[in-house]
Formats: sequence, structure tokens, C-alpha cells
Amino acid sequence: MTERKSPTAVLREGPRALSDEQVREIEDSALAGVLGVDIDDVIEYVHKDLKSLPDFTTLYRRYLKQRWDVYDLDFSQDKIDWQEKMTEEERESFIAIASGFHHGERQVEIELPVFMIGPSEEEKLHIAAQIEDEARHTVFFDRFYREVVGLKGDDIMAILDASFPWVSETFVAPFGLLAYQADELRRSPYDERARVRYGTNYFLWIEGVLALSVMKVTLSYARWRGFLPAYYTGFTATCRDESRHVQGGMRYLQQAVRKDPTMINEIHDTLRTILSLSGVVSRRIYYEPLGWTEEEVRLLFFQQLRRKLNDVGIGLAPDLEDLLQRVQPVLAGG
Amino acid sequence: MTQPDFFSQKWADSVRDALAAGPSEQARAGKLQEYWDFFEMIKGMYPASWALGCRDLPAQLGGGPAYLFLQWGGGTVTDSQIIAPGAPVKASYVLGMDYLDWKALHDGYDAQRTVMYRKMMLEDGNLLEFFKGIYFFVECLAVIGTVPASYPVLAAL
Repeated sequence: MTERKSPTAVLREGPRALSDEQVREIEDSALAGVLGVDIDDVIEYVHKDLKSLPDFTTLYRRYLKQRWDVYDLDFSQDKIDWQEKMTEEERESFIAIASGFHHGERQVEIELPVFMIGPSEEEKLHIAAQIEDEARHTVFFDRFYREVVGLKGDDIMAILDASFPWVSETFVAPFGLLAYQADELRRSPYDERARVRYGTNYFLWIEGVLALSVMKVTLSYARWRGFLPAYYTGFTATCRDESRHVQGGMRYLQQAVRKDPTMINEIHDTLRTILSLSGVVSRRIYYEPLGWTEEEVRLLFFQQLRRKLNDVGIGLAPDLEDLLQRVQPVLAGG
Repeated sequence: MTQPDFFSQKWADSVRDALAAGPSEQARAGKLQEYWDFFEMIKGMYPASWALGCRDLPAQLGGGPAYLFLQWGGGTVTDSQIIAPGAPVKASYVLGMDYLDWKALHDGYDAQRTVMYRKMMLEDGNLLEFFKGIYFFVECLAVIGTVPASYPVLAAL
């Protein structure tokens, strides 16, 4: 970790070009080497292949090369940083954000198997790998909360129960919707329209927009301050996993629309519901101790959404464009 | 004072009154005013009806599945009644939950997790339209959970 840029620098810099060497570093680093990888490069890497999306077998082969052992991480320095170096304000902000991931990783793990019933055999391999990734990410947060934050519990659900008070009431919009969409697929696993609506929420919004944006907040803080090395390593490796998930999900949506152009209506309808709720806040999260403002985080959401839609060639209906303009903050001075 | 039986018409009347009154001051205090402004905006214009089912209502209460029907209009509940087992169920959104999960909600289990963990599921209705009012629904579900009622203890299996 040699570079120490402001956490929000990427908002003003715009897309960055990755050299072949940087791409190799991201793709080929073993877990210990991930500590040296810049999170902004990993997020850029997500977009690198969106215009020429890799096929599902390629993504599965990448998974086999990139999977990591969550039990190899050593959180002892993180515990020292958490207890002795971070301020109370930093800890409160950090945990308010991380708790969304703690519960979000669990949700995307358990709601994905039903999506595996419908697709091609190649995509099934990719989804099976993704389910294993999400289970590992769930364990990653379980370990972080036990070993660094110090929550106590006999099992994974007990730790989830203990961190739930930090989860915002608005969490239910994307993740409750995902649970209900999964149930819709459970009843009709081959309903292609229901699959596209599910994929829009899961792959485009939850993984492609929410996760990648908010990951960046805690990771750029950790990198900026030089704190929480095991968290940075594990969560940056998680972000590399997410790049495969987002690329696979975008490939699925792109293929669905190419096969049946009316599927764009399912994507738009899903985004209408999501965007109508995305401007509502139930509690104030203070991002400032981590180097961000709430406006900057929301702006990051919408930058991520627009980039993904543009990269995979999905346009917005005029009313959605208007809705996006209304809920999208303007970056002061940006 | 004896409490009405869960899924009795008296309980349905109490639910209607509780929903008309809305979340308690204590519930409101923990969340931002702008969240409650959104809640009130949805409540004021919500035109739909819910049929909230108990899939396995205990035999002491008439046996299941039975539904609590709630019609919204003009910012309040305009109709609240129990749909008996076997009677036709017609509502904008039909949802169902097991008796033990209803009891857990009454005992304080979180309403958001009741949805997220698929304890209560949408059985009929447009999912994307339903979710446009999800914050309103979850807060109302939490209110319903607080309405006093007698829940018979099930015999151990």
C-alpha cells in the first residue's frame, strides 16, 4: 500500500485506464498479495470486461484461480487498530456501513440457489461458484465481527442478530425484494421475465451499484489510514470476486435483452421500484469520519449505475431518466 | 381485561384502530423525520388492500388458513375483517405466514426481518408494485405485531 490518495478522489478523476501489469496484479494475486492492490483499480477492473463480457466458462475458470481461504486471514493487527487506533466516531461509521454487508452477504448467498435452476449448464457452473463465494464472504464478516469488533455468539445467526441493530430500516427495499423475487422464482424457475427482474435487482443494483460503491467507502478508508490489513485484504479479494459476479450478471441481462428486446421493460420496471425507494433515508450514517459525505456516496451509486448501463448497452426510459435526475445528488465542486 | 383472540374480529378491529393511529412515538423516535414523511405520504395515497394470512391457525382459533383483510383508502383503514378458512380471498396483495411466526412478531421479532427472512411471503399480487410501499408495509406490520391478543400455546410435537 504505497499510494495514499483521498478516499473520494475517484469521484473527480473519472474512469481510469488499467495497464496490463495492473490487470495481471489484480487477476493473479494470491490472498497475501491482495493487500498491495488498490481498491480503485479493482473497481475499475469490474468495468474492464463489461463491453466484451467474458463467457461463463471463462468466469468459472477465473473463480478456480482466484478463490481464497477465508481462514488464512489473520485479524490480530485489525483488532489492535480497531481498539487502539481508530476513533469512536470512525468505529461507529465503519460498523454502520459494514453491518449492511454482514447481512447483505448472507442474503445474496441464500437467495441465489433458486436462480441456478433456469440457466444453461455453463452458467450453472458460474452460479455454483458464486454461491460458494458468497458463503465465504458471509464467513469473512462473521470472523470480522467476532475477532475485531468483539461481538459474541454461538453461531453465525447469533452474530447476525448482534449486528442487526446497526442495519438501516431501508435495507429491506433491495434485500427484501430479492427474497420475494427468489420466492417468485422458486414457484416458476423458468419464467424468463421473473429471472430478468431478479437479475436486475441482484446483479445490477445490489452487486453492481450498492456493493461496489459502499465497499469502496470502507476499503478506501482502510487504505488511506493504513488500518485493518486483514479486512482490506479479505474485502478487496471479495471485490475481485464481485467483479466476476457483476460481469456474469451483466452478461445474463445483456443476452436476455438481445434475445427478446421486450425484456428491457422488466429491467425498467424493476429500476422504477428500486429508484422510487432509493432516495429515502431512515437514519443518518455519518460517512465523514471515513472521509466521505452522504452526498458523495449517493453520487457514487449513480455513477456506478450509469456506467454499467452504458457499458452493456441498456438505455433508460425517459421517466426513469427523470427519476434518476431527481434522486441523484450533485457533487459540490465536482 | 381479557385480550381478544388472535385472528378474531375483535382483534381485527383493534388492528384497524392501531393502524389508523400509526406507529408509536417510541417507534418514531428512532428514525429520521424524512422517513416518516415518506411513510405518511404513502399512507395518505395508498389505495390497495392486504390479505394477511395465517397458514396454520390453531384449531382453538378455528383452524387455518385464515386471512386478516385490510382495505386502505383516504389515509386510513376503511375495512378490517377476518376471512374465514375456505372463504374466497380477494385483495391487491395476499400474503401468508405461519402461526409461530405471527406469534414471534407479537413477541417482538423484527418486522423487517420477517420480510427479509421470508417468514411472511407474497402469495398473490404484483411484487414490484407491492415493494414501492414496502417501508409503509413493514412499519404497519410492526404495528400489527404490537396489538394485544391471546395466542394459544401449541402442544409440543
